[in-house]
Amino acid sequence: MDCYTANWNPLGDSAFYRKYELYSMDWDLKEELRDCLVAAAPYGGPIALLRNPWRKEKAASVRPVLDIYSASGMPLASLLWKSGPVVSLGWSAEEELLCVQEDGVVLVYGLHGDFRRHFSMGNEVLQNRVLDARIFHTEFGSGVAILTGAHRFTLSANVGDLKLRRMPEVPGLQSAPSCWTTLCQDRVAHILLAVGPDLYLLDHATCSTVTPPGLAPGVSSFLQMAVSFTYRHLALFTDTGYIWMGTASLKEKLCEFNCNIRAPPKQMVWCSRPRSKERAVVVAWEKRLMVVGDAPESIQFVLDEDSYLVPELDGVRIFSRSIHEFLHEVPVASEEIFKIASMAPGALLLEAQKEYEKESQKADEYLREIQELGQLTQAVQQCIEAAGHEHRPDMQKSLLRAASFGKCFLDRFPPDGFVRMCQDLRVLNAIRDYHIGIPLTYSQYKQLTIQVLLDRLVLRRLYPLAIQICEYLRLPEVQGVSRILAHWACYKVQQKDVSDEDVARAINQKLGDTPGVSYSDIAARAYGCGRTELAIKLLEYEPRSGEQVPLLLKMKRSKLALSKAIESGDTDLVFTVLLHLKNELNRGDFFMTLRNQPMALSLYRQFCKHQELETLKDLYNQDDNHQELGSFHIRASYAAEERIEGRVAALQTAADAFYKAKNEFAAKATEDQMRLLRLQRRLEDELGGQFLDLSLHDTVTTLILGGHNKRAEQLARDFRIPDKRLWWLKLTALADLEDWEELEKFSKSKKSPIGYLPFVEICMKQHNKYEAKKYASRVGPEQKVKALLLVGDVAQAADVAIERRNEAELSLVLSHCTGATDGATADKIQRARAQAQKK
Amino acid sequence: MAFPHRPDAPELPDFSMLKRLARDQLIYLLEQLPGKKDLFIEADLMSPLDRIASVSILKQHEVDKLYKVENKPVLSSSEQSSGYPRGATCWAQCPCCREGSPWSEQARLWRGWERSAGREEQMVKELCFLVRPRIKNMRYIANLVNADKLAGRTRKYKVIFSPQKFYACEMVLEEEGIYGDVSCDEWAFSLLPLDVDLLSMELPEFFRDYFLEGDQRWINTVAQALHLLSTLYGPFPNCYGIGRCAKMSHELWRNLEEEEDSETKGRKPEIGHIFLLDRDVDFVTALCSQVVYEGLVDDTFRIKCGSVDFGPEVTSSDKSLKVLLNAEDKVFHEIRNEHFSNVFGFLSQKARNLQAQYDRRRGMDIKQMKNFVSQELKGLKQEHRLLSLHIGACESIMKKKTKQDFQELIKTEHALLEGFSIRDSTSYIEEHIDRQVSPIESLRLMCLLSITENGLIPKDYRSLKTQYLQSYGPEHLLTFSNLRRAGLLTEQAPGDTLTAVESKVSKLVTDKAAGKITDAFSSLAKRSNFRAISKKLNLIPRVDGEYDLKVPRDMAYVFSGAYVPLSCRVIEQVLERRSWQGLDEVLRLLNCSELAFTGGTKDDKAPSESLRLILVVFLGGCTFSEISALRFLGREKGFRFIFLTTAVTNSARLMEAMSEVKA
Repeated sequence: MDCYTANWNPLGDSAFYRKYELYSMDWDLKEELRDCLVAAAPYGGPIALLRNPWRKEKAASVRPVLDIYSASGMPLASLLWKSGPVVSLGWSAEEELLCVQEDGVVLVYGLHGDFRRHFSMGNEVLQNRVLDARIFHTEFGSGVAILTGAHRFTLSANVGDLKLRRMPEVPGLQSAPSCWTTLCQDRVAHILLAVGPDLYLLDHATCSTVTPPGLAPGVSSFLQMAVSFTYRHLALFTDTGYIWMGTASLKEKLCEFNCNIRAPPKQMVWCSRPRSKERAVVVAWEKRLMVVGDAPESIQFVLDEDSYLVPELDGVRIFSRSIHEFLHEVPVASEEIFKIASMAPGALLLEAQKEYEKESQKADEYLREIQELGQLTQAVQQCIEAAGHEHRPDMQKSLLRAASFGKCFLDRFPPDGFVRMCQDLRVLNAIRDYHIGIPLTYSQYKQLTIQVLLDRLVLRRLYPLAIQICEYLRLPEVQGVSRILAHWACYKVQQKDVSDEDVARAINQKLGDTPGVSYSDIAARAYGCGRTELAIKLLEYEPRSGEQVPLLLKMKRSKLALSKAIESGDTDLVFTVLLHLKNELNRGDFFMTLRNQPMALSLYRQFCKHQELETLKDLYNQDDNHQELGSFHIRASYAAEERIEGRVAALQTAADAFYKAKNEFAAKATEDQMRLLRLQRRLEDELGGQFLDLSLHDTVTTLILGGHNKRAEQLARDFRIPDKRLWWLKLTALADLEDWEELEKFSKSKKSPIGYLPFVEICMKQHNKYEAKKYASRVGPEQKVKALLLVGDVAQAADVAIERRNEAELSLVLSHCTGATDGATADKIQRARAQAQKK
Repeated sequence: MAFPHRPDAPELPDFSMLKRLARDQLIYLLEQLPGKKDLFIEADLMSPLDRIASVSILKQHEVDKLYKVENKPVLSSSEQSSGYPRGATCWAQCPCCREGSPWSEQARLWRGWERSAGREEQMVKELCFLVRPRIKNMRYIANLVNADKLAGRTRKYKVIFSPQKFYACEMVLEEEGIYGDVSCDEWAFSLLPLDVDLLSMELPEFFRDYFLEGDQRWINTVAQALHLLSTLYGPFPNCYGIGRCAKMSHELWRNLEEEEDSETKGRKPEIGHIFLLDRDVDFVTALCSQVVYEGLVDDTFRIKCGSVDFGPEVTSSDKSLKVLLNAEDKVFHEIRNEHFSNVFGFLSQKARNLQAQYDRRRGMDIKQMKNFVSQELKGLKQEHRLLSLHIGACESIMKKKTKQDFQELIKTEHALLEGFSIRDSTSYIEEHIDRQVSPIESLRLMCLLSITENGLIPKDYRSLKTQYLQSYGPEHLLTFSNLRRAGLLTEQAPGDTLTAVESKVSKLVTDKAAGKITDAFSSLAKRSNFRAISKKLNLIPRVDGEYDLKVPRDMAYVFSGAYVPLSCRVIEQVLERRSWQGLDEVLRLLNCSELAFTGGTKDDKAPSESLRLILVVFLGGCTFSEISALRFLGREKGFRFIFLTTAVTNSARLMEAMSEVKA
């Protein structure tokens, strides 16, 4: 381990920088990098190379080739470039390749070289051609900035939501700026450009001149500028070989350096890690790489090959034809542990663990030393943290072993940090693998989050790995496995060479009933690819019928949609389909469809009842549903029609319908009503007063109350009103009239079919005891006691009850006996009872 | 007198959360429409809303005036100077309701307070409609918006549907050409806690919509409500149900749960069992006259949304009074589940106790008196007020009941239930119709006769119908057609043809898709088999001597000891067995062989405490008698029942739902 820090290079007193190999590149590049347009996505993303660009005056007959590789150089895609000349390439945050053409058209390709879409940067750009272009990233997404041939800038801060912004003119600008970059401050994109010794800042509306504070004098031109990954810092390289480093707001200088190289650098990028005080810039020339910072000396590397720098969150990736390296500031934890002769607790713990493995008692000494200082917790944490920053698994392991060793001597050390680090490292090592080729560092991984990482794996079609990671990290299925499977399925349906059956089966086998997988989404994708049959097959696997409906409708499978909607039990959905169908089919077909779906039919009827009465009638007609048709006309006879003729006509139609429905009862009743209506009309004409719309009963009552007894009787005969009803009716009406004479006459007209007790009751109700008594005597023996009690003749009631020897009646009478007045009666009953018992 | 629960009876969950949830949601919706606005409220939503939010809460959220959507035909626009149709009654402009005070108490004063015409608005306000998703409401809104358009007024409109939006409504808005002018929202307020153990969805139309029209829209609402309950109060480990609607609701609900199961998983259940029951499984109970106090009050005065309007005859003053009836009313709480015959005795006892407590004053010294006045007097006065109200109610009930020969009526009902002297009962009903005693009562008796007798014999069927039409008008031809479709009033058909249809239907029912669509047929083929069920489940208790209503032995006490409510008995049996096992014959008789189910998440972790909390869901409404009966059962067995119903119903409401009336 002595040589472990061999690749550490100090910069000033406090920081070390190290460069280590990520991959030896697998690609077999024929061209030099300098001959290609190169774009590499941050966060260990893919690399795009457009060989044979137009700027070389080569034979135009050869079509250039666009190649996409993973960070380890594995080819992902290769395609012949058939569009116009490309000025610049760049990757968006979603890992889509943006190719800016000379005419301002931006073509968007997927990771696998699949064409996605294109958009134009506007007419002005088209006319003046693109001189230079940059793809930049903001919190909204990825933006494109373009410098046109007229030295004007146009930019869009988010290509996902394209809004072109033309930046203001720089006054008196004659030539192209020597260098420029996009800045992002307060969520607004600016452009900083250098023309000769002057710096201009362009925002929405204004162009202002800016001067970096503390800039060394004698600058006649800026050759290169670099803005840090987070847009916080800015570095300027002047023609005097002087480098100014400061904040991006140009308010503060951090440091400066004079490298004495006047040649313009090929690339200059920031190399700093989040939350570190150290600031450094990596400058690359053809054969030389220099790390400069706040130190009198710089770190120098020799470049054997043509190389390309990719700024990252916490360092710089450098790749060439043969090798891919990572250059970064050594993190504090690693530095503390591995610095030569470090006495940091982590270093001691690592040492202790090594001794322990050697079974040496030194282990105990070291451990004691840490414990005496009370730094064991810190030591363990340091080891865990340092492990995260190590690229080599053996180093990760040894640090984690040390941490785990130290943990044993601690009470209640929360294990989460350790466990999580183990998990994270396992994931990181898996994706850093050569075949996968995503060289994420721990900090980048944390910044990116696992969800985004999974998305990127899915984007690379690394479904099995993604699923393994989900399962390993025990992510909830909906967020993890099912989402990935759904993506896989969406990819699967695009494989046109496989038959519908096979695709559907394969998808169903894999997905099964994994919760959270929406078969309808996959089907929608299949439909999008023009595979309708496959979409229908896939929809059959969708357990929620409701989800199937919208797509089925879109695919014009309305009838199937209807039955699915009904199956779902969601009536709203059924209704949606219904109205769809109504517009789609002609009326006859629509009704026929309804006929086979009673639930839909009843729903539609409900709707028609309120909105389209005529349609309702048609529906019943079509179905030969005469019963309902009859009911419909009955309702119409009093709700819709006002004129008597119209009402009778409606009733006639109803009656006909009822006959057809073999509902003779209803038909007869309807005919009776027609007769009654006509009659009521006549009565109104002849007698005046209100008769229409009275029930038969009420009509007769009204007649009696009006003194038209003859007519009443005639009506009762005509409509065959049963005797009982007639008696009740007359009785009530006459009592209401208090026509006692007529009532008595009536009572004697023949034997009452309802007995005479009602007569007594009704008289008593009108408080006519005198009349009541008349009838009480005529009440049959069964109800006599009751009648007598009603008229208040307790004594006689008692006599009758005693005579009838009815126990219940006796009790009844007794309960009516009130104290003083009926004392004698009560005694009598008691006696009778006693006698009865004796017998 | 009121029976205390067993000491080990489980605690009821706190349902006030549901109110808070609904209120917060409403406020959120109102805030979506910033600025001053007028609020139009559908009449049916007023009482429920009243229980959720007071006028001052609405005013705090910039509701200016309240109007009632009354669905009167809207007059032509030239007649409306205010821009609102005549049907809209302003509620909150009159001086009495400027501030604060719960608005229901003032509703009476506001009612009929027509907005003075001609006062043109200076500022055009935004309009907000709070309505049930009904087509007629959409037409009302459309008329209003179109009138505005004619008058050249532009403003914002917002329609808040409660409890959910239906596509059909949006469709109507579109057809009326105003879809672009209004914005729609949903107020998912589907569960109103009326009492500590009673949740109501306040959807009385559920009964007619589902059981008559075959409209299944509300089933989704039920499923949503159940889902809400299970997310708030934990999963239900055991689930039973009977009836087609119950089955569908259960399925939909399960689907909802599956879609987002990660949330409820691992939660401790609070409610151990849930029982879903369709109203059409047991029409008989709902059709009987209620004799338990709470039921009687409902039958007599109509309890609406947990409160009742006691008229002058009860309050013995010239004003009527709106009274909340729930467990907080101490007097009511003690008598609500009592048979009416006990109530008077109890109340007079209570009055004597109260007097005694008042009388204690006499011997007091100053200090004690001070204590008495500051602490007890208020409570006593409150109790006194309630006591006199309930005594008034009792007297009023007595008066009404004796007038109509209540004893005779009850006797007939019992005869029908027990199945003797059917001829006498039939002629009693006939007389009832002939005398035009009450159209609703007559219908009820006819239905009761039909269901208990497996349909009327053809001769009676015709003659009773004829009599009824003669008494109450021909439009009831439609009522009879409705009743027939719902299986409430049918004609006895020769035995074999019926079974043929029955078997055909049940074959259809097994097919999943067909199962959902056969309502129309099934009701035709349905035989009530009441007599056989009654025997099988022992619904008519055999009593020697007098049934002691003071100390009841079984649930039959809610019907004077004559009949154990069928619905409650089924629930009891299933809970006892923890399944439908052994009830096959009963299910067959109920025509529900395919429609009974058990389910739920079998969870061994369920604490035994929760297993004795049972949620009973009545789809299509339940009666207070059933509630009382199950409360009784709970006390006997150490359970606590919680009731969820689409609406509290009674025989009159059922009959009215089936009746066709002239508009």
